[in-house]
Parts: sequence; C-alpha cells; structure tokens
Amino acid sequence: MKIMKIGKGFKKQFMELKKTAVLLIVLIFMPVTIASAHRVIIFAWAEEGVVFSESYFDAEKRAANCKITVVDENGDIVHTGRTDKNGNYSFKIPDNLDAGLMLHLDAGQGHKAHWKISLDELIADSGKSSVEKAVETRKELKKSPPVYKIVAGVGIIFFLAFSLKFIKRKRYNKND
Amino acid sequence: MHISEGVISGQVLTCGAAVAFIGTGIGLKKIDYDKIVHVAILASAFFVASLIHINIGPASVHLILNGIVGLLLGFAAVPAILTALLLQAVFFQYGGITALGVNVIIMAVPAVLVHYLFLPLLGRSPKLTFTAGFMAGFFSILISCNLLGAALWFTDQNFFKTSLAIIAAYTPVMVIEGIVTGFCVSFLLKVYPEIIPVKS
Repeated sequence: MKIMKIGKGFKKQFMELKKTAVLLIVLIFMPVTIASAHRVIIFAWAEEGVVFSESYFDAEKRAANCKITVVDENGDIVHTGRTDKNGNYSFKIPDNLDAGLMLHLDAGQGHKAHWKISLDELIADSGKSSVEKAVETRKELKKSPPVYKIVAGVGIIFFLAFSLKFIKRKRYNKND
Repeated sequence: MHISEGVISGQVLTCGAAVAFIGTGIGLKKIDYDKIVHVAILASAFFVASLIHINIGPASVHLILNGIVGLLLGFAAVPAILTALLLQAVFFQYGGITALGVNVIIMAVPAVLVHYLFLPLLGRSPKLTFTAGFMAGFFSILISCNLLGAALWFTDQNFFKTSLAIIAAYTPVMVIEGIVTGFCVSFLLKVYPEIIPVKS
C-alpha cells in the first residue's frame, strides 16, 4: 500500500517535472534575440599624449552625452566632460603625472562604469599595450553571453529549489 | 534597471539589504512545498529575460519580467528575484553585488504588489485575464521606475526629474512587458493552470 502511494507520488512528480521542462524550454526560446544587456562599459587607451575613450551600453549602442570624470590616484579630479554622440571622449594627458588615471562614466539611471589606465600605459611612447587591451575589450563586448553561463545559472536556480524542497520535506510529510 | 556598484550611498544600501533580507525570509517561509518548482521556473525566466533584446525601431529594450514573476508567486517572488539578480551580477556583471539589496527591492516590491492587485482578476474571463496580465506587467515596471528614481534621489537630489527620465526611457518596456505578461498568463491558464494560484 505504502509502495503504491510512493509510486503514485513519484509519477505525479515526474509528470510535473515533464510539464516544467516543456514550459522552461518555451520560456527560454520564445523570445527574439539573445544579446548582452544593460551593462554600461567604458574603455580607454593612450596614444601620442592623448587619452581616448569609448563608452557603450552594449556592443552596438554607444553611450552618448554621458558624464565622464577623470580622477588621479588621490581621487582629485583631473578632467570632466561629456561623451559625444558616438560615446567618445578624449583629453590630453596632463603633465607631471606620477600615477595612473581612472575614468568614471556616469550614464545616469544607476549606470556607472570605470576604467583604469596605469602610469606605464600613459607614458609609454606608443601606448601599444593599452590599445591592445582596449581592442580586446571591444572584441569581448561583441560576444553574446556564453551559453554555459546561462545553463549554469538555470542549473544553480534548480539546485537551490530542490535543496529548499529537501529542507521543507519534513514539515510537508508531517502535514500530509 | 540594475543599479551599478558605487552609485547609491551606504545608508541606502544597508536599508535595502535589510529590507531584502526580511522579504526573502518571509518569501522562503511562504513558499508552498508543491510550488517550489514553479518558483524555480519563474526565477529562471527572470534570470534569462535580461539577456533577451527586443528591437523596436532604432531602440533595443530587454524584458524584466518582474510582473509575471510577482503575479504568479506573491511573496515567493522575493527569493526568486534575489537569486536571479545575484546570478546576473556574478555571471554577467549586471548591477553591483553591494547594490543587490536595493536592486531586489526595486524589482520585487512591485512584483508583490501586482500579485495582490491583479491576481483576483485572473481566470474570470479570457479578456479580463489578458487585461490583468497586461496591467501586472505594465505597473510592475512603472513602480520599479519610481523606486529606482527614489533610490537615486539620495544621490541625484532631484526625484521628479530623474523619475521622469527613467519612466520616459522605460515606457516601451512597460507596454511590451504588459503584452508579454498578458499573453503568458492567458497561455499558462490554458496549458498549465496549476502554475496560476487561482481558487477554482
């Protein structure tokens, strides 16, 4: 009798899981495109005495007319300005620098980002390393979020849910 | 809608974290044993929704889905949204870890509100179900915008200007979210009515 009850319970659980899986697939694949969302990013590089920066909301959308504050290592403001319609902002490297600079982007509505340029990158003749770093970041931006991260996230959610189910089972069995 | 690291003052972050903690506790206590899988499904949908872009003309918006999550889960939406936001912050750098509490409040409070406001309307008639879904999706984003404006008020000092700018930016999202929630609720009522907590 008890085995039959357990069997019935298992079947019910299995049917529910089947429905759940179908629904999950529908929910995940129903929408239109998958792209990196809502991250605001700034990156900068030094070239021939000038720091160039580009700001983005995602790979394609430039952060136009957003406030940029450049501070030195002590937190003192070196430059302030706004990005142009393409999300670009540049300024001449100040003389007598003894440390790197930090560029803060404030894109409004709670979106902020920053980028650090070390002193080595600023004083290097060609600024090659910082350009390479910026190109790398640009490439990273264009990539969609990796599928394994999405799958891992969903996996963690279900793991937590089943852990909660395991914790709550005793109370449930008592009430049953 | 995700507040980044270093935007909000320490006091607001602490208050946000405390309220989110209490909300999560209530939510975890209120989750029905049989509905835990539903919570996981909706948390997964919320987690993935921010990655999905819908192009409307030149603009590109992404869904938030706190309306449908709240409508179907009530208080259980708080732990669901907390988990999803934490994973979004860790995996995709959306919003800061320190701002997690405030972000949870911005998205979960409207979710719980729409549950109590619009759930009683579900299942009465197909039109009313769609309308209730639409309203839940629409108002959850509208309330979220106001909460976001309120959170930024402490730094920007101009609540109305900030809130209006946010509402203007999110109006397309409100409409799309409303339509998506309306269709989802109508669809779910037909194929998977168990997920909708309606008294039959």
